[in-house]
Amino acid sequence: MTPAVELGLFGIIAAALLVSGVVVVASRNLVRAAFWLLPCFLAVAGLFVLLGAHFLAAIQVLIYAGAIMLLLLFVLMLTRDVGSVIAVSHNRQAGWAIIAAGLVAAATVGVASGYSWPAGAPRAPATTAAIGQALLTTYLLPFEVASVLLLAAIVGAIVIARSEPDE
Amino acid sequence: MTSYLQLEHYLIVAALLFAIGAYGALARRNAVAVLMGVELMLNAANINFVAFWRYLEPARLEGQVFVLIVITVAAAEAAVGLALVLNIYRTFGTVEVDRVNNLKG
Repeated sequence: MTPAVELGLFGIIAAALLVSGVVVVASRNLVRAAFWLLPCFLAVAGLFVLLGAHFLAAIQVLIYAGAIMLLLLFVLMLTRDVGSVIAVSHNRQAGWAIIAAGLVAAATVGVASGYSWPAGAPRAPATTAAIGQALLTTYLLPFEVASVLLLAAIVGAIVIARSEPDE
Repeated sequence: MTSYLQLEHYLIVAALLFAIGAYGALARRNAVAVLMGVELMLNAANINFVAFWRYLEPARLEGQVFVLIVITVAAAEAAVGLALVLNIYRTFGTVEVDRVNNLKG
């Protein structure tokens, strides 16, 4: 992949990411917002591929674009006003929120572009096998803690969401 | 052959995505939409992790392992958060966060 092609791909993916992100937070139809999360998550996976993290790209598609988006859609379906345009979809702080988000963006973009970062390594190393090795040796403890956390969270979610019998 | 694409590009895109997500988390009334904003912010952080791994420390895997852990925790957070949203809907009949303002429903 020549540098120009890489830059072009990055531009396309970044534009798709930011546009779909804006639709997600601005759309008044919540189901539409949830579906626009799909191109957003896929674009993040595309950035992972450009960065050479192929395993993370696959995980991103499976977990975010598959599981988490589905979960969000299910809850939208189970709560009311599915697919309807809500009269007031943003609260009264929306103006202040735009100002706060703009300040955050300005500060972080300013810092990121002002600092002279070292030039990147020419090629990304192949990593999927190395990640597997690392997860089962160096990072075994965080890996297991994460699995226990996931189990506890799922049991907790079932307990919280279960409809209680009327007493 | 040097690449035009540098770390700054990824950092700027991630910063903009983070700001978009922050706006969503702050300004939305529906609790599920607030969660969507939080997910966008987590994705922005993940882009930063992978970009720093790729451009600063390609020999070490901490960046990618951390992203895996973040994705796991995000899945747990989404499951618990959405279960809470369902329960809030049952109790209050609404999921709009500015109308859920009783301590003892």
